[in-house]
Amino acid sequence: MISLSKYRHSRHMALVAAFCLAALAMVYLSYALPRLLPGDFVTAMYGSSQVTLSEAQEAELRAYYTHDRGFGSFIIRLACLDWGYSYAFLSPVSQLFFDALPWTLLLVGLAHLISLVVGFFAGVEVAWRRSTFLERGMVSGMTMLEGVPEISTGVLLLLIFSLNLGWFPSAGAEIAYADLSLCERFAGMIHHLVLPLATLVLAYLPGNFLLTRNSMIMVIKAQYMITARAKGLPPFRVRYAHGARNALLPLVTRFGLRLAFMITGALVVERIYAYPGLGTLLFNAIQARDLPVIQGVVLISSLMVLAVILALEFVYRIIDPRIGHARAF
Amino acid sequence: MHVRFRETSLKDPLFMMGIGLAVLFMAISLLGPFLAPFDPWDMSFVPISPPSETHYLGVNDGGQDIFSELLYAVRNTMLFGFISAFAALGIGVILGASAGWFGGFVDMIVMRIGDVLLAIPAIMILIFAAAFFRPTPWALALILAGFMWPTISKGIRAQTLSLRQSLHVRAAVQMGGGGFYIIRRHLIPEMFPLYLIGLAAKAKMAMFMEASLGFLGLLDPTRKSLGLMINYALNFYYMDVWWNWLMPPILCLSLLIVSVTFLAISLEKVLDPRLMAALDGRAP
Repeated sequence: MISLSKYRHSRHMALVAAFCLAALAMVYLSYALPRLLPGDFVTAMYGSSQVTLSEAQEAELRAYYTHDRGFGSFIIRLACLDWGYSYAFLSPVSQLFFDALPWTLLLVGLAHLISLVVGFFAGVEVAWRRSTFLERGMVSGMTMLEGVPEISTGVLLLLIFSLNLGWFPSAGAEIAYADLSLCERFAGMIHHLVLPLATLVLAYLPGNFLLTRNSMIMVIKAQYMITARAKGLPPFRVRYAHGARNALLPLVTRFGLRLAFMITGALVVERIYAYPGLGTLLFNAIQARDLPVIQGVVLISSLMVLAVILALEFVYRIIDPRIGHARAF
Repeated sequence: MHVRFRETSLKDPLFMMGIGLAVLFMAISLLGPFLAPFDPWDMSFVPISPPSETHYLGVNDGGQDIFSELLYAVRNTMLFGFISAFAALGIGVILGASAGWFGGFVDMIVMRIGDVLLAIPAIMILIFAAAFFRPTPWALALILAGFMWPTISKGIRAQTLSLRQSLHVRAAVQMGGGGFYIIRRHLIPEMFPLYLIGLAAKAKMAMFMEASLGFLGLLDPTRKSLGLMINYALNFYYMDVWWNWLMPPILCLSLLIVSVTFLAISLEKVLDPRLMAALDGRAP
């Protein structure tokens, strides 16, 4: 027993080490890559202007703008939220980032939550009603939807509900009038949120649904399900306490892996609806070639993704005690 | 691995639809330059004119023929997807088979690197590389492949572990076959059906990435891409041109990704014995 818990502990440590390594690699890349570039902001700004700089002036400007120090101080500045200064928006990168972050978290978090819950319950119920008309229809519909990228659903929803029907606003995240009551502001936020949220849910839902349904179909055939039914448990309890709990595992384990690729969709959707989150900030920064903002947003949001995936590793160890005992490879 | 292709795949409507669309798009992308009525970079037409006899889908704001643009864009997006998917497949198969066969230290290193790469959001690295260095699309495709191989190599490794025990591989070992010889002559040909799943899944991901990068304005603006076309057309969405300018690239992109998704799902159904047994009620 002692050796087992020790073994599990070392697995934990190996995992944490792998993630720390990934994080460190990201930080180092974002430190080293810009330094490989020919030229810098000073040459970009004064290269085509009438002013001719002397060597000393150029060195002074470069020292003023680039703060070129070692990797250690880069990490320290990163931890102190000192991520540089935006050339295009003329404000600190950290301020831009934290202005945009709540909107992205609201949009992406809510989309994940809704699609996980709806996909899970729909998948379980549909798997329970095998080879009915409902099941066939849902599975084909979801398979079709799985292939449609966020760009397409986003633009289609925008065209239909915003442009032609005019039900929802096409840009922004809230109504910025000062004299609105709290309730009205909240309603405005929801009104703006509906379309981007629907796009992301439509993109995330089919994967969750199909995964749950496939694993639930396999779970239903297991011996313990027959036992549970033979004991005379109510169907609801058999379905959820005995069946669905085991079908939940692949959903959670695959979630982390899919997250790293799902970020793309959120960036695109924010740009389509001009939602003032990180995606739009990044898009505007790319348009203006504002490298400090691109660097900051890319680095910090990837670190956040890493943190979420690491947290999930621990969550599914709690959901499935078997994983703790499984061999690493 | 044995696949009764004729009995399973050809009867699957999903597979047939996927392959039909894929063949159609393949033909479009191969014949694109011959089918295109105009040079897509020719800016000499009347900007934002509606569809007509000469311009099937009208002309965009830069005075370029949209139909010709579309043909070139489908070609570029598909090419990006396939280059990236093939590169990821190559790396994934070689590393996965080596990790499964040699085990021990090699296995640990490969799988740990894979775990680290899987956790990093690839789009962020691509944005970073594209914004700072403006590499060619092919370089971006290869960078993307560098992040996509671990899922393939995990599947290949698991299959290698079970193939190690099979009679013909053990016979080859008995006759003194070396590791690389067995990987090359026995393991790699045997696992061929797995590559198709990996290829379809990764091609889907890569095409989606290409469209997204183009949409975010990170690719060469003179190169035709579905994402770039959507990006430009979206600036004029409030005008009456969306159905001939915005819709075609969106439809093409959706159908392209739908077809690859169908192929991936139907192949997975056929080739994953556990899933097949559960879905068809047959013994694996």
